[in-house]
Amino acid sequence: MLKYIINSCFLLLSFYVTGQETQKKKTDSIVFKKNYGLRIGLDLSKPIISARDANFNGFEIVADYRLKKNFYLATELGYIDKTSKEDNYNFTTTGSYINLGINVNSFNNWLEMDNELYYGARYGFSSFSHTLNNYTVFQNGSLINSLSSAYFDPKTVSSNQKFSNLNAHWVALVLGMKVETFKNLYLGLSMNINKLISSKEPNNFKNLYIPGFNKVYATKSSVSFNYTISYRIPLYKK
Amino acid sequence: MKNYLIAFGILFLAIVSCENDDFCSEETTPRLVISFYDKDDPETYKQVPIYVWADKKDSIYKLKIVDSILVPLNTGSNSVIYKLSTTNIVDQLDFSYITEDVYVSKPCGYKSIFKNLTIDASTNNWINSIEISNSTIENETIAHVKVYH
Repeated sequence: MLKYIINSCFLLLSFYVTGQETQKKKTDSIVFKKNYGLRIGLDLSKPIISARDANFNGFEIVADYRLKKNFYLATELGYIDKTSKEDNYNFTTTGSYINLGINVNSFNNWLEMDNELYYGARYGFSSFSHTLNNYTVFQNGSLINSLSSAYFDPKTVSSNQKFSNLNAHWVALVLGMKVETFKNLYLGLSMNINKLISSKEPNNFKNLYIPGFNKVYATKSSVSFNYTISYRIPLYKK
Repeated sequence: MKNYLIAFGILFLAIVSCENDDFCSEETTPRLVISFYDKDDPETYKQVPIYVWADKKDSIYKLKIVDSILVPLNTGSNSVIYKLSTTNIVDQLDFSYITEDVYVSKPCGYKSIFKNLTIDASTNNWINSIEISNSTIENETIAHVKVYH
């Protein structure tokens, strides 16, 4: 009996044997080559805001260069002239800025599509000046007949004081997308989350707005957006 | 995908930690602190029931018994006249000063501080003597003018 059991074990024993040489990888006969080149464009939001808002004037040029399939060198150049109104003072900021950095595309394109869903990093620099147009001195009122109002009329000064030769450095995290709408023509939107590294602060005032960086929050950070239209000058295909 | 999770995590943190409230909570333009001392014992406060008003203005203090008063200075001018009255006797103090505007913060904007405080003229009906202890008015924590009565 035992003999039959042992024999049937041998019968069920199996070995892996390959009967073929190593298989050649099948390659797709059609390869969708990507366009490489310099892409330049402009921010659409800034001219639109400039046309609608008398307190804002600005433009921004964007450009990127494709180094690898999903890796781009990117830059933004701009100029802004903006009047900011606070409760009891207002000031005009004028200056230009440059952002330099990279974009990494994380979107897998089908076939010949060439869209992007990207993240990136930037270093930003701005050179600007503020003009303090006017201010009203903040003076708490005195309690008169149980009503709190200013005892003396608060002083308003039209100072037109200029704080010039200011600058700021920052880093930014970029999230954005670009869609190829026509051949080599892209519509894009992106958001920059900025963090100030250092800035030259004015004397007896503060950098509340920095061109390119946008409104400076208390945590020395900010958020800025752009909506771009850009054209890729195709240089070669790969 | 993992990259996006990290990116959105950072984005979320950046947005929630953006801005604190836009209320002016700092100390702004200081008021003038006048303290009342005993003329016979110049080290001790002496309370006085007092009416206080600036020339041609409403009263700030109406028969209040105090040893110190806080009165605003006119930021739009370099002088102010205050009238101090107790038991229907009025004394007049003419102050003059230089204002300087100092930036405080985003919600507050500018405040004024006062320097070179002097008393140009004063009457001595119920007040015995006056002394300026601090000619620079930057805060309300110390007395700037001492009145002995």
